[in-house]
Amino acid sequence: MLARQHEHKAPQKRALQWLGKQLFNREDPAAFFDPLLEQLNPMWVQEYTPARVERILQETADTRTLVLKPARHWSGFEAGQHVNICTEIDGVRHQRTFSLSSSPALWHAQGRITLTIKRLPGGRVTNWIHDELETGAVIGLGEAFGDFQLPAQATPLLFLAGGSGITPILSMLETLTAAGASAPAALLYCVRTEKDVIAREKLEAMAARHPNLTLTVIATNATDSPRYLTEADLASVPGLQDREIYMCGPGGLMDLALASLDALGVDAQRVHKTFFAAPGAASLDGTDLGGTVRFAKSELEVSSEGDANLLDMAEAAGLSPSYGCRMGICHQCSCKKTSGTVINRLTGKASGPGEENVQLCISVPQGPVTIEV
Amino acid sequence: MKTMNEQRLAELENDLNAIRDEVLADLGERDARYIRRIVRLHRGLEIGGRVLMPFGFIPPVFIAATAALGLSKIIENMEIGHNVMHGQYDWMNDPSLHSQTYEWDTVCTSASWRRTHNYEHHTYTNVIGKDRDYGYAVLRLSDDVKWHPGHLFQFINYLMLSVLFQWGVGLHELESERLRRREITWKSKLPFLKEFFAKGGRQAFKDYVFFPLITFPVAPIVLAGNIGANLIRNLWSSTVIFCGHFTQDAETFTEQECENESKGHWYLRQLSGSSNFTGGKWVHLLSGHLSYQIEHHVFPDLPAHRYPEISGKVQAVCRKHGIHYNTGSFAHQYGTVLKRILAFSLPDRLRVRLPVQGLNQAT
Repeated sequence: MLARQHEHKAPQKRALQWLGKQLFNREDPAAFFDPLLEQLNPMWVQEYTPARVERILQETADTRTLVLKPARHWSGFEAGQHVNICTEIDGVRHQRTFSLSSSPALWHAQGRITLTIKRLPGGRVTNWIHDELETGAVIGLGEAFGDFQLPAQATPLLFLAGGSGITPILSMLETLTAAGASAPAALLYCVRTEKDVIAREKLEAMAARHPNLTLTVIATNATDSPRYLTEADLASVPGLQDREIYMCGPGGLMDLALASLDALGVDAQRVHKTFFAAPGAASLDGTDLGGTVRFAKSELEVSSEGDANLLDMAEAAGLSPSYGCRMGICHQCSCKKTSGTVINRLTGKASGPGEENVQLCISVPQGPVTIEV
Repeated sequence: MKTMNEQRLAELENDLNAIRDEVLADLGERDARYIRRIVRLHRGLEIGGRVLMPFGFIPPVFIAATAALGLSKIIENMEIGHNVMHGQYDWMNDPSLHSQTYEWDTVCTSASWRRTHNYEHHTYTNVIGKDRDYGYAVLRLSDDVKWHPGHLFQFINYLMLSVLFQWGVGLHELESERLRRREITWKSKLPFLKEFFAKGGRQAFKDYVFFPLITFPVAPIVLAGNIGANLIRNLWSSTVIFCGHFTQDAETFTEQECENESKGHWYLRQLSGSSNFTGGKWVHLLSGHLSYQIEHHVFPDLPAHRYPEISGKVQAVCRKHGIHYNTGSFAHQYGTVLKRILAFSLPDRLRVRLPVQGLNQAT
């Protein structure tokens, strides 16, 4: 499942791990006992952080919030970060990345966290969470990650959310209001219809308690003609130029917002975004993409036209490297590249030619590449 | 080997692919539950054996502890390690059961095993000169290898190989026969030897140093029990593996026969080069279902506990195409293995006068 991070190992711990490797032939010796511990109490598993589903709240017709209690050794998070969860569906483990929707304060006070998850059409995991997952079940949790985080000092803020992109922003808003932040904060929340507003009561209660928080809901499909986010919506935010802007939502909304902000002369450095939707296929149209990829450990060679990522190519060649989100977030598919250059599809940047770790799911070869798969 | 034209071979390929696709489409919860149950059984037996061993000064406890530890090693090597490393459970996406990350409880490193077994043996099954599992470079098991007087003593070599089987398997990739013939250099084998000593050292440290030492007053008993457990595992796994390819009717092939072979031809070779043995459920579990060696060689990456379910279909395909499905009781199959080892220790002109059926003709 999800590997725990052992970054700062104490010498005794290193010695124990050395001994564990001698005795059990594995990097994480504690996990040798997992198959038995899992039977006794699934919360005792060591290989990953188990988290019990304590409650499930229905937010909207297609969104629910899971209240989770992770095992004590989980390291916590910062508002705006996301986390990998691991579920087992029909014998197959699946990993997906979701933003944490609760504030870190809740974790510190009660040891609880929440994930707010929307059902995606055809989504294997989100539909399972909506249809099969029940209170009392235990799922796997990874450590939190992501740099979509609030500024260290009080600064005027603008949050721009689309649909279920509200989740990391919920965590941020709760953190700000709990701390009694003095700087003004505005939320522009785009939804299809009023019925799709997630956590409406919570948002309204926060806005009522904190006069320096303003809340604007834009329902795009409320009438026959769609009403999209406009430059005027953004321009109406007082002191827009001086605000740090946090946005999370579907690609279309993000593009629209970025263009409008640019037109309004907002410094791009002030804009923070986090991933929401998977990057489209073949988003790079360089003619120099593609090349022969050698999967060194399995001694397989395949050539590519530049339209496929390394993960797809490896799978098409019959290999089964581990993977998770398939959108460049979770790093489960990170593998060692020993030679050649790959282009990161998300950033459009080229890697160095030498040995480094690359994410298979978002890497496209540029010339011959060797990967340790 | 039975000869078939390309059209028949294509038909054979389709028939077997259909069986494979049916199982693949059905993989799920049941298979995950099965392998997890076996893993729990292994953990239980190993922990039980290790905990009981220091009390081995009571003779029945010694026997129970040694048997539990030996069984745990057998189950871990055969039904878990071997099968997981074939990628039978990769689809579960569970790193603790993934072919590329699993490290098993024996001297041979997983990486070396994937190269010599998964790749060499399963690709060139029973091809003399290419499948180095055929006789393990110490035994002459067909007249494709020229007799020399040293072969007279090969039964002793066989016994030694069986007793020290895990070390033999661990050293398989050294290619000692090619080193002897100076086809390759010791220097080229240094990275392998480093791996071998690291893993072999760990295995020896665990069973012969660590566990005896922490039970100091009864260290000799723990040491004896651990040696016993390893011996049980070595003898059993060697025997199972010998029954898989060296029985009376298991065929061998020449390199020429297999040049540019089609998938259908590869299937035919797997079917005619492998042999099964029958037995109860426990026999199948403890052999890692290599009692269904034919099914395993045709479908090495299907979960092994599925082999009994598909065996009937594989037999039907064999009947349809007139291919011999080599099976029999464990005693019978093992008997023919022993006869083969003995018969081929003799020079050919003596061997052909022996009344041993099936071994007189060139196989």
